[in-house]
Amino acid sequence: MTTAPATTDRPADTRPVRPGAVARRRIATRVATGLGVMWAAATVAYVVLHSMPGKIEDILLGDQTYPGAQEAVAADWGLDRPPLVQYLDYLGRLLHGDLGTSYAMRQPVAAIVGDQLWPTAQLTLLSAVLALILALSVAIATAGRARPLRAVASLAELVATSTPVYWLGILLLMVFSFELGWFPVTADRGAASLVLPAVTLGLPMAGLLSQVLREALESTLEQPFITTVRARGVGETLVRLRHALAHALPPVINLGGWMIGNLLGGAVITETVFGRPGLGAVTLTAVTNKDVPVVLAVVLLAAFAYVVISTLVDIVNLLIDPRLRTR
Amino acid sequence: MRNRRLLAAALGALLLLAGCAPSGAGARTSAAGNSLTWGVTTEPQCFDPHRSTQQNAFIIIRNYVDSLIAKKRDGTFAPWLATHWKISDGGTVYTFRLRDDVTFSDGTRFDARAAKANFDYVADPANAADAASLLVNYQRSTAPDPHTLRIELKNPDSSLLESLSSVKLGFLSPSSLKKGDTLCNASRSLVGTGPFTLDSYTRGQSVRFRKNPRYDWPPGFSRHRGPAYLDAVTYRFLPEYSTRSGALASGQVDAIEGVQPLDVPLFKGVKGFRYLTGPSRQTSFTLNINYTRGPGADIRVRRALRDGADLDAVVKAVYRGTVPRAWSNIGPDNSDYDASLKNTWGNDPKKANRLLDEAGWTGRDGDGYRTKDGERLTLEVGYPQPYVRDNRDVLIEALQAELRQNIGLDLDLKINTAGEFTDQKATGNWSIYPNTLNPLDAGLELRQVLGSTEFLYGNVHGYDRKLDAMINRALATTDLERRRPLLAKIQRRAVDRAYIVPLFAPHYQIAASDTVHGLGFETQLDSPATSYAVRVGR
Repeated sequence: MTTAPATTDRPADTRPVRPGAVARRRIATRVATGLGVMWAAATVAYVVLHSMPGKIEDILLGDQTYPGAQEAVAADWGLDRPPLVQYLDYLGRLLHGDLGTSYAMRQPVAAIVGDQLWPTAQLTLLSAVLALILALSVAIATAGRARPLRAVASLAELVATSTPVYWLGILLLMVFSFELGWFPVTADRGAASLVLPAVTLGLPMAGLLSQVLREALESTLEQPFITTVRARGVGETLVRLRHALAHALPPVINLGGWMIGNLLGGAVITETVFGRPGLGAVTLTAVTNKDVPVVLAVVLLAAFAYVVISTLVDIVNLLIDPRLRTR
Repeated sequence: MRNRRLLAAALGALLLLAGCAPSGAGARTSAAGNSLTWGVTTEPQCFDPHRSTQQNAFIIIRNYVDSLIAKKRDGTFAPWLATHWKISDGGTVYTFRLRDDVTFSDGTRFDARAAKANFDYVADPANAADAASLLVNYQRSTAPDPHTLRIELKNPDSSLLESLSSVKLGFLSPSSLKKGDTLCNASRSLVGTGPFTLDSYTRGQSVRFRKNPRYDWPPGFSRHRGPAYLDAVTYRFLPEYSTRSGALASGQVDAIEGVQPLDVPLFKGVKGFRYLTGPSRQTSFTLNINYTRGPGADIRVRRALRDGADLDAVVKAVYRGTVPRAWSNIGPDNSDYDASLKNTWGNDPKKANRLLDEAGWTGRDGDGYRTKDGERLTLEVGYPQPYVRDNRDVLIEALQAELRQNIGLDLDLKINTAGEFTDQKATGNWSIYPNTLNPLDAGLELRQVLGSTEFLYGNVHGYDRKLDAMINRALATTDLERRRPLLAKIQRRAVDRAYIVPLFAPHYQIAASDTVHGLGFETQLDSPATSYAVRVGR
């Protein structure tokens, strides 16, 4: 394109790009992709749920039937309308923040999920923090150390990673609640009741993170720049904390972010074993009963959580790793 | 799932060995004064008696809902909110005299208008209430005076009294009914006339009730009068067997419902605890065989399936002798159970093999199964996953192994989804459906699984018309004494022609600290009764 002199009086072309604008554009892209991901997740889930065998009104009726029952239930939930109309109606209500009403519980989905969100978030966050602390301490203490020490740590990690959450939960309950009486089994006694579930959910995660982190630390510790640092007479602890860790963290952060998303699966089992409130139990019953509005809400929430977590992971990596900032 | 069960079993054994039981023994006099905490298997999805479909939800709902009449152990009915009643000669008009001293917990009076409002509400298809299936013959009701209720039926219906004694047709205050759908939520708008009122609910955790201080209208057979003994009662939802047992053993709850066979020795006969099992009046766990299609259409194949295994031994092995095997699909404690069926069938592999030979299933394939014209003798058991519980799939697998070994029949267990099963129902091409029904009148129960209008045979062509006519006749016979032999004949025909293979008679279990008194079971539900007569103390 040619640029006629008459149009060059606008300074825009030569104006330097402001960092704020870049950030704004990045954020806007992020938000747009996030919304796209959530729409796609909801739509895919919607289609899958509706193409599974069995009419919803029949499932809702179970073994009960009486003349006109199917029709009454279908009319009650608007299931007698064409599928496309139902889908558009669903999207329309979603835009207004209306998640619909649970078929089985006959209550607004937003209220059900809202009620259960905080207990699950509490459990997930606490176990993530616990896992991170455990993994950091073990990995930093054992990376590149004497063989026996590493062997013990590896074994512990392997056991933690491969122990089924269900088994671990019952075992912890038996020892620390039923036998020793240190912690209550059910979740009505404040923070104390959160300890065992968080350990149950956090330990397997800690095992995996610690393995990855030690590998990364060990390869970092062999780098020439560490030799340089050591040559300056810096102590071993400082070498590890100040210099090696920053290099070893990014893979752990990435993996950790992904695992937090995965914790919902573990939360289902943990919440059942401990009789804790939370999204896990709600999701499980909703899926088995084909309670479509609830399942869709959980899918949306999970998609949202992934979007948020991956954004956070990017930001954290940006802070840790200066190489990313110069791009 | 299997692994989890094994683990649970191993852990249960460990718990036993660790001898942690004594730590809770008798240590439990509730801190909060006169209150009690239950650990229960199931959190109700819906707290509205008219809409709930979960059998285990009624254990909790019964605490705030009363019915017109109450079922007694002998199968007759006791007064409850109605003091007496009479049935017209044609069997289509029921007239009830109501108590005049009953109030809902919000202070409004319970009278004939309130009762009528409830029945009208349930029967109205627009409300899509689950309990409508109990009022199929309901025409209308009227209230000639505040304490007289007349129910008019379209046809005589011998199931009506039992249905009226069911919690599903219990009463909510007319102002509650106006809230419709939202009643599923455990909120204070759930207003009944029961001995307790809802205090608080935490989803996924527990529901708590307070006693109704004005309560003085228990069922006619109740030995306790006046308000409940307990000031408050909490039902905590602990879906894991091991967690419930551990919570009771360590004194964190006072009583639990649902004890797995492996944990029974922790409480049964152990000092500091009591262990109770309930009656088995509802349907026994039964294989319903679609007798119109596939190999199951041949009576010889069905009889071979029925008699080809040692059911006693299989049930004993899977449930460690805690439950009896069944002889009819009606529970052995039901007054309409046909006891003459006992020892008339089962465990005759020789005859079963002869029947299969006669039916032409004489070939054998590489896996040892019988074949005919190159086709394996396979009967599929489609078991919807949401209904799998209590090791019932393990039981069917054990039966599968025996039948394969004894008679070369492939009983093919397929765990499917509720959706797949509803599709099979809609086309009538289900093969074998294993189930127990929610507690109902025995006539209705037989109709549900064998009748031509219900969920199993509703879309099946070529159903047994004679059996169907027998069922309809029984349901039209209002005199329950005269009806009993008719129901017995239906059970005999269904078992003789092997339309059904009853497996075992399930029951509820309660384990509790021995400081808890007055525990029991509700006849109509089989499940633990309300906490009305429960006391805590030495």
